[in-house]
Amino acid sequence: MLKAIYGLYPDPDSAQRAVDALRDAGIEPRDLAIMSSEPFEEYEFGRIDHRTPMPWLAVLGGLLGGVTGFMLSSLTQKLYPLPTGGMPIMPFWSNGIVTYELTMLGAILATLLTLLSTTRLPDWRGRLYDPEISEGRILVGVVNPAEESRVKVERRLREAGALQVKDFDPASNAGLNPETEGRSS
Amino acid sequence: MEKSPKQITDDLLRPLFQTSTRFFVAVALLGALVLAAFAAFFYQAYTGIGVAGIRWPVFWGFYITNFVFWIGISHAGTLISAILRLANATWRRPVTRCAEVITVFALSIGALFPVIHLGRPWLAFWLIPYPSERTIWPNFRSPLVWDFFAINTYLIGSVAFLTLPIIPDWATVRDKAEGWRKRIYTILALGWRGTPKQWHRLESAMHIMAIAIIPVAVSVHSIVSWDFAMANVPMWHSTIFAPYFVAGAIFSGIAGLIIAMAFLRKFLHLEEYLRPIHFENLGKLLLMMSLLWVYFVFSERLTTWYGNKPSEMAVFWSTQSGTYAPLFWTMVFCNFLLPFPILAIKRLRTITGTVIASLGVVVGMWLERFLIIVPSLARKFLPYSWGSYSPTWVEITITVGTFAGMALLYLLFSKAVPIISIWELKVGQHKVSEAPAPSSAAGSSLGAASGHGQLATDG
Amino acid sequence: MEARSKHKWGMVVDLDRCTGCEACVVACHAENNISTVGEEEAARGRAKHWMRVERYYEGEFPDVKVKFVPVFCQQCDAAPCEPVCPTYASYHTEEGLNGQVYNRCIGTRYCANACPYTVRFFNFFNPVWEKPLHLQLNPDVSVREVGVMEKCTFCVQRIKAAEIQAEAEKRELKDGEFQTACAQSCPTKALVFGDLNDPESEVSRLTASNRGNKLLEDLGTLPSVTYLQRDSWHDGKKS
Repeated sequence: MLKAIYGLYPDPDSAQRAVDALRDAGIEPRDLAIMSSEPFEEYEFGRIDHRTPMPWLAVLGGLLGGVTGFMLSSLTQKLYPLPTGGMPIMPFWSNGIVTYELTMLGAILATLLTLLSTTRLPDWRGRLYDPEISEGRILVGVVNPAEESRVKVERRLREAGALQVKDFDPASNAGLNPETEGRSS
Repeated sequence: MEKSPKQITDDLLRPLFQTSTRFFVAVALLGALVLAAFAAFFYQAYTGIGVAGIRWPVFWGFYITNFVFWIGISHAGTLISAILRLANATWRRPVTRCAEVITVFALSIGALFPVIHLGRPWLAFWLIPYPSERTIWPNFRSPLVWDFFAINTYLIGSVAFLTLPIIPDWATVRDKAEGWRKRIYTILALGWRGTPKQWHRLESAMHIMAIAIIPVAVSVHSIVSWDFAMANVPMWHSTIFAPYFVAGAIFSGIAGLIIAMAFLRKFLHLEEYLRPIHFENLGKLLLMMSLLWVYFVFSERLTTWYGNKPSEMAVFWSTQSGTYAPLFWTMVFCNFLLPFPILAIKRLRTITGTVIASLGVVVGMWLERFLIIVPSLARKFLPYSWGSYSPTWVEITITVGTFAGMALLYLLFSKAVPIISIWELKVGQHKVSEAPAPSSAAGSSLGAASGHGQLATDG
Repeated sequence: MEARSKHKWGMVVDLDRCTGCEACVVACHAENNISTVGEEEAARGRAKHWMRVERYYEGEFPDVKVKFVPVFCQQCDAAPCEPVCPTYASYHTEEGLNGQVYNRCIGTRYCANACPYTVRFFNFFNPVWEKPLHLQLNPDVSVREVGVMEKCTFCVQRIKAAEIQAEAEKRELKDGEFQTACAQSCPTKALVFGDLNDPESEVSRLTASNRGNKLLEDLGTLPSVTYLQRDSWHDGKKS
């Protein structure tokens, strides 16, 4: 059963304070849960987990697409050579266009796939979430807190300026089928 | 000017939860026109394409005009979303999704026309490169096959570009909806929760896509223009076609966007979000594109006239002073003479003004496509083969049906998805308030210092 | 292109002999199962005359000059209609013909637009032969359905039949052994058909004539048809 305790904050400053306070209290980064209805790139908490190979994968996807395009046009022309208009059987100019288009398609699809896999979407299992986030609140919390640190965590969440501090209730979350076992977000 | 996140959310989700009678009436009317277009197409496919107006030697007419026109309109989204995103123009925020929607739907409609205009449309799938039992592949030397790849790449890219930033908004709708709506939006939101990792990945993906989609858009309309430029037809075989068409596409796309925004603003009561400054800025862009269009047309016609090739001059004079002159001069009026004063004079560059200019541009650009295709085919090299063209009710019905279809798709979309990107708008707001200010934490001094303009442009 | 194939088919049109009688037009319709489209459709520009005789007038009555120019597919070596077809329905055969494969055609009509001679025709409707006219159809030539492009093929069915016959009889094709329908029907022998790869053939001899030029030669399509005319069209001089 996924256990979590979290606070809902009205603005990013208090959310940052909460994150700092929790880290001071010794909470592991992978047990920290932060969620918001918009990105906060200017704040430190909005920049965790930043490293991604996405651009490189896009380039790789583009290369694969380009090779596919080149092979598709050139090899099929060789397979059943039909001369047209005095042009060479494998004209560079026109094959280049097809190669280019598939390069771009490869880059786009690679980006899409990387996005879905790194964000682990779609994921309709019950996860830590609170619909208040859509009202503009920022959720900062701890997943699977150790029993003895619960009180400390709760105190720090309140001190940072939480509007509410809640225990995670699977029934109220947005997933279709709340899972009985959860990992940290 | 600043709105609280809750207020933004409520305003922008209102169209999803409240529906007026006017909506149903509009859907019914537009739906009827679309059905009529479908019926006309099936009649044509069943009876033979002879029911359309095409003939020897004008083998391409309304359908290809519409094809190029709609692909052109689809360049709106790319310009606004991608270029302005990369240029960090923050006023774009309320406008991006309206524009991206136009792209996806205009592209889908445009992509129908190569099938509609075929003599044997049931065999359109032969354009797909698959290992067929006939042991033959498409001819990659043909611009029509380039069209297939370009349009599909652009379509996939645009759909991704549109739908990725919608996911967080669907999550918002999911949280606020109830009943059957909640179930649908839960599925659509894909379980989005808004962790920093998810946000960062999404923004990275958008950034990469913005960089990728611009060259794709340029290539799409270049390739469409090469459907004409690759054929040795008087006044088609010109190197100017690719940049000319791309510029024309962006031109018509901005005009389409302005019209769409004006409708949304009025009927969805988005006056606070789609503000005069947005129309002003888009109006300035439209003015620039109008001047660019004039430059291209003048370059092409000057070169043709000066070269004085008999085959080209036949086409030239037919548009300048001959059969097609009324259409030609209407086009010049609609694309330049009308928009230029409206958009150049600040007092006239109001919302109404830009909409009038845009309506003119949409008409003018449709005429431009027509005048590129038909006069050249009607005046080819051998004078014995000169001819004319006039559309039949089939072509007119289908053309009208596609305009109705575009409006219908747009209507339905704005009912299912917030037409202004909620989270992007919120980001715009908090970026303003967090901008470094000398004394005030909330940035109100910044707002006061630069006046109405600053907050307004940050959307 | 020339070295590979055994034959390269070409034609010569002698404009000094053409009387404009249009027997070639009729013969082509008969040989190639080209339907007539009716008065109304012809007025709408849907007639399919693979072979047509163009008439050009110059001058005012009574000093009018008329020229008759039979125009048909020039079977260009650098045909602009071939690269633009997305389905390879238009391609170049080994014998120098521009082949039109009806089964591959999906009717984009790009080839017709690209052809500078506008010699390509489209089936806007399914062709109709009212009984008993259907009995006149040539069994060697397919009937094209709606949505398919068609054009002069140099009577490829006659070419193939003659080649098969010659091979069966283990001999070479003789010049003049067979003709295209238009050349066969021309009363003044203005149309000559043959193998350009055979230096002895009549068409090769006439192609080398100093009266010869090509239609729209400056476009670089390399047509296989040579037009002969002694007089320059405009200066009225007789040489």
